[in-house]
Amino acid sequence: MIAYLIRRILGVAGVLLAICAVTFTIFYLLPADPAAAACGKTCSPERLAEVRHFMGLDQPVWRQFGDYLVGIFAGRELGSGPHAIQCGFPCLGYSYENALPVWDLLMDRLPVSVSLAFGAACLWLVLGLGAGVTAALRKGGLLDRTLMVGAVATASLPVYFTAVMLLYGLVRLTGLLPYPAYVALTDDPFAWAANLLLPWVALALLYAAMYARQSRSSMIETMEQPYIRTARAKGLPARTVVVKHGLRSAMTPVLTLFGMDLGALLAGAVITESIFGIPGVGRLFYDALQRSDQPVVLGVTLLAAFFIVAANVVIDLLYAVVDPRVRN
Amino acid sequence: MSRRSRALSVSLSTSLALALLGACSPQGGDDRGPDVRQPGVATGTVIGGTPKRGGTLTVLSNQDFAHLDPARNWVMPTMDFGTRLIYRTLTTFRAAPGKRGSEIVPDLATDLGRSSDGGRTWTFTLKSGLRYEDGTPIRARDIKYNVERSFAPDLAGGPDYAQRYLAGAEGYTGPLDGKHLDSIRTPDDRTIVFSLRGPVAEFSSTVTLPTFSPVPASREKGVQYDLRPFSSGPYRIESYARGKKLVLGRNPHWDAATDPVRKAYPDRIVVIQGLKGGQIDDRIIESAGADASAVEWSDLQPSSVAKVLPKPGIRQRLSAERTGCTDMLALNTSRAPFDDPKLRRAMQYAVDKQAQVTANGGPALNDIATAYLPPSLTGGRAADPVHTGPATGDVKKAEKLLAEAGRGDGFDTTITVSTGDKTRAEALQQSLARVGIRLRIETVDPSVYYDTIGDTANAPDMAISGWCPDYPSAATFLPFVFDGRTIKAKGNQGNVSQFRDKAVERRMDEIAAMPDATAAAKAWNALDREIQRKSPAVPLLWERKPLLVGDNIAGAFGHPSWTGQFDFAVIGLKDPSRSQG
Amino acid sequence: MSILDAPATGPGSPSPPDALRRTTWRRLWGDRGSRTALVAAALLILIALTAPLLSRLGGWSPTAFDADAIDPYLGGLPHGALGGISAEHWLGVEPVTGRDLFARVVHGAQVSLLIAFAATAIVVATGTAAGIAAGYFGGRVDTVLSRLMDLTMSFPSLIFMIAMMSVAQDVNRVVLMTVVIGVFGWPGIARVVRAEALSLRHREFVEAARACGSGPWRILTRQVLPNISGPVIAYTTLLIPGMISTEAALSFLGVGVRPPTPSWGQMIAEAVAYYETDPMYFIVPSVFLFVAVLAFTVLGDALRDILDPQGGRP
Repeated sequence: MIAYLIRRILGVAGVLLAICAVTFTIFYLLPADPAAAACGKTCSPERLAEVRHFMGLDQPVWRQFGDYLVGIFAGRELGSGPHAIQCGFPCLGYSYENALPVWDLLMDRLPVSVSLAFGAACLWLVLGLGAGVTAALRKGGLLDRTLMVGAVATASLPVYFTAVMLLYGLVRLTGLLPYPAYVALTDDPFAWAANLLLPWVALALLYAAMYARQSRSSMIETMEQPYIRTARAKGLPARTVVVKHGLRSAMTPVLTLFGMDLGALLAGAVITESIFGIPGVGRLFYDALQRSDQPVVLGVTLLAAFFIVAANVVIDLLYAVVDPRVRN
Repeated sequence: MSRRSRALSVSLSTSLALALLGACSPQGGDDRGPDVRQPGVATGTVIGGTPKRGGTLTVLSNQDFAHLDPARNWVMPTMDFGTRLIYRTLTTFRAAPGKRGSEIVPDLATDLGRSSDGGRTWTFTLKSGLRYEDGTPIRARDIKYNVERSFAPDLAGGPDYAQRYLAGAEGYTGPLDGKHLDSIRTPDDRTIVFSLRGPVAEFSSTVTLPTFSPVPASREKGVQYDLRPFSSGPYRIESYARGKKLVLGRNPHWDAATDPVRKAYPDRIVVIQGLKGGQIDDRIIESAGADASAVEWSDLQPSSVAKVLPKPGIRQRLSAERTGCTDMLALNTSRAPFDDPKLRRAMQYAVDKQAQVTANGGPALNDIATAYLPPSLTGGRAADPVHTGPATGDVKKAEKLLAEAGRGDGFDTTITVSTGDKTRAEALQQSLARVGIRLRIETVDPSVYYDTIGDTANAPDMAISGWCPDYPSAATFLPFVFDGRTIKAKGNQGNVSQFRDKAVERRMDEIAAMPDATAAAKAWNALDREIQRKSPAVPLLWERKPLLVGDNIAGAFGHPSWTGQFDFAVIGLKDPSRSQG
Repeated sequence: MSILDAPATGPGSPSPPDALRRTTWRRLWGDRGSRTALVAAALLILIALTAPLLSRLGGWSPTAFDADAIDPYLGGLPHGALGGISAEHWLGVEPVTGRDLFARVVHGAQVSLLIAFAATAIVVATGTAAGIAAGYFGGRVDTVLSRLMDLTMSFPSLIFMIAMMSVAQDVNRVVLMTVVIGVFGWPGIARVVRAEALSLRHREFVEAARACGSGPWRILTRQVLPNISGPVIAYTTLLIPGMISTEAALSFLGVGVRPPTPSWGQMIAEAVAYYETDPMYFIVPSVFLFVAVLAFTVLGDALRDILDPQGGRP
């Protein structure tokens, strides 16, 4: 088990390094010059060169990449002499636009995105799995057909359409919910939930529809397996058969999917955050793009990759605990 | 569905636009009258009467501040916010609507400064009893220190007037290396003396810029100072989460007796950032709860105009002051086709400015520009246009000029705009097609727009670019936009047309050295007409800044010197007790 | 129909037996749901193909302004009810510019579907090739390709696509967008194909062909490809709605095709602000996008049930 764990973690490090390298290369080709943006409206060539030097943009790409990698583990000092900026471990670069280390910015926004992702995930798991399993157990019936038509239709609606319709119905017309704005959980749990309810629902509807479809087909497949028929034949109560034998193995593919989806969402739901004006990681990313704040863009990309890979590992470890064959 | 005929609609819009400018007598009847669709608050009026002291003022914004560090703050509404609330400058603008707002009054200094040596040396004396937020006194050397900071390459982005004007500043890279400027002297804690490269008649206005506010050397944090400027103004920063929220509380050591400009009515000011533009409009229109005590930071969205203008109750909460900027179509004079002045003059008639108005929010929020200098720099009236004609353009005249230039069959040309100006570029494409000019549009992200058009070797034939004066003087306008000596190979901004004209440059130098401001203003005005004849750019729009306030807001007016943004020095609440929430 | 000439069964490979094709068709047409989806999808493709013709029929080019159709005093809102729907403008006009919505939405179909189909083609071609290679050859090839699949799937694809689209300035946006979307989609189908190829490798008829001295290329194209074409076709159809959505999402975020080229996502992005003051402007492109995604999803579901009743699920 320990050997498996080490192997997996080494694999993760390799994947992250590769993503880091690819992203870095692409951004090095970026025509926008962050130094020119920092230098302002009227900027002389000499001054621009000074700014470029200060930001380290006059170094060759491999050197910049090397410094970046070292910085992640050891922290680094940007610039030199009295101008130097300290960027402590783990240094994911420094945003000159925001005058903050990228890590600080990410940690400031992360609670927002995590609140959004977990709330939505709870909703969509309950809604999606509930609808999927119900439909599977009544396969071919009216309820099944209704649920599945609803799921296909909902999954076909773009999240920005659902979001705007919900905003119109629940906020503009009826005033049931406040305009979404982020309130920290620790400040006021009630306001936190009330403000996030709208984005949760908008995001969860889309995923719930996909999960309903996925869990339905997975459940139907499982319920047709011989061992389920055996369990039934043995005279086990229907409830036990469905919950203990059916659900457990039917949920395996759904769980894999869930890990990936949640991982991707933790690092920001760009569209949802930008529609509702929620200051999460996705919004940070989008703003950084507009201002060509490359260190932030790179940082968010890495964070997102990290979450996806980490979610994968967690899911795999869960499997490995349950099923020893996986370890080899 | 009745549709107005094309002819009628054109004449209506034209007459209205011209009537607004006062440049031409109205022609033809206007069946519904401009009052129905105009913003409720015109130039010079204050929304909501005089505020009461106390309460929390909320500012709703869709973005973060560019830079609050006074050495780096050169983006218009942020300059207003910084200098009105957090730091004081040697002189500042009067807190008054309309023309009076352009007047300069002493702020930290006791007067507007005394010049000697023919305008080459300027001396300011600080008031006594000035204190920072921690109670320590504000000293003349702190102002010198911040001016020096603005030279540091890592503190880039701020106004560059110090670099332009101060003597012996070449090659200076800021105070962090331990070097200081000899051209600023502080013989004692209350006196500061600037030695300039040449005479500057308007230096009293130059020192309204945030560069000329105090930063004590002991508070230096390099680029991190941007997060928490040390307060010399009526408010200090309580918390600032970038892109999310800024909270200002009172600075207990600010003494109203030393400050004739700032009233500081609210107890707290909360800026909520990163919101969605349309949702900000909706919230302030509804004015529910704390939103009643809120103002907009970013412009009213064009899509919200229909929710505001037809409703008198909401319309009177809309401010639409002129920004004081001129929006132009810059023609690249450095190469064909626009190296030919005839062709450039043809463009003055080919462009449909009316379509530009529509694409930019409609006649309620835009006036048609007929000269380069905005009316705020020409005594409130638009300068007389050189190229007259209907606002939709004069196709016949344009065709005639094109034929004279040997381009009767039209030609192919390119424009680069930022994605936000997409519709305007498309409107331009349509109007130029009338005279056979085939326009190809390139759009680029706003973040790289100025890099793209500022790369002179690869610059497009045309670009939409604007310029706003830093203070009411044409010296902060024409030399930035049409002086050929300011052109840079890369990062060229301002003189986007790459206009080089020896006569114009010589005249600019002459006017800049004029000691008499009134004579200089007249001369700038004449030079504007002179440049119009050479036609390096087509003046398009004088925009207004549409901003809504909640129904508990008082003392709100668009300040002419802050591009029509509210004057944060005197804004407040009608009923402070309603703002709790 | 583009579904049946997907590049996976490209030149040189035999088509699936006529009998299978006929049953597939009969079953598709027999079900009311999939029949409707088929008709809707065909109609949308037809609209996309004939967009220039249709807009000429409507009398407006997608880029022509109509200053008479809008009220400049109200921020450029269309005159008349329902976003300016009239005999002249069948689906109303765009606020501010007065451009004809019908002309724009049919041209938008062209861009949206072109990118979706082209990206799907890239994904299917790459995915199938990689999947067959990994599954059939196994060993080191399989290890390397499987690692590459893992790596690609670990990329935060939407975030990465946005970043890449905003980086590139002077490129053909349609081509770039197709490639960027395509680059991240292939591992899904590659895994499905790999599993199929793995199971086919030791089947009797493949062994037999090998025993007869057929080279790997011949075996792959003559024996393996035809036998996995069913799941591939089903999977391909299921990919299309995702591609349409992704194109729309990127355009919605402002990193899609350049104006004045219309695309649905871009139209919706501009219309979002008008959902209250001009709801038709928002609804028209949204309905087109919704119908397209729905039709291809239903069609894909039906094809999967017919061609690949068990497994083959990504």
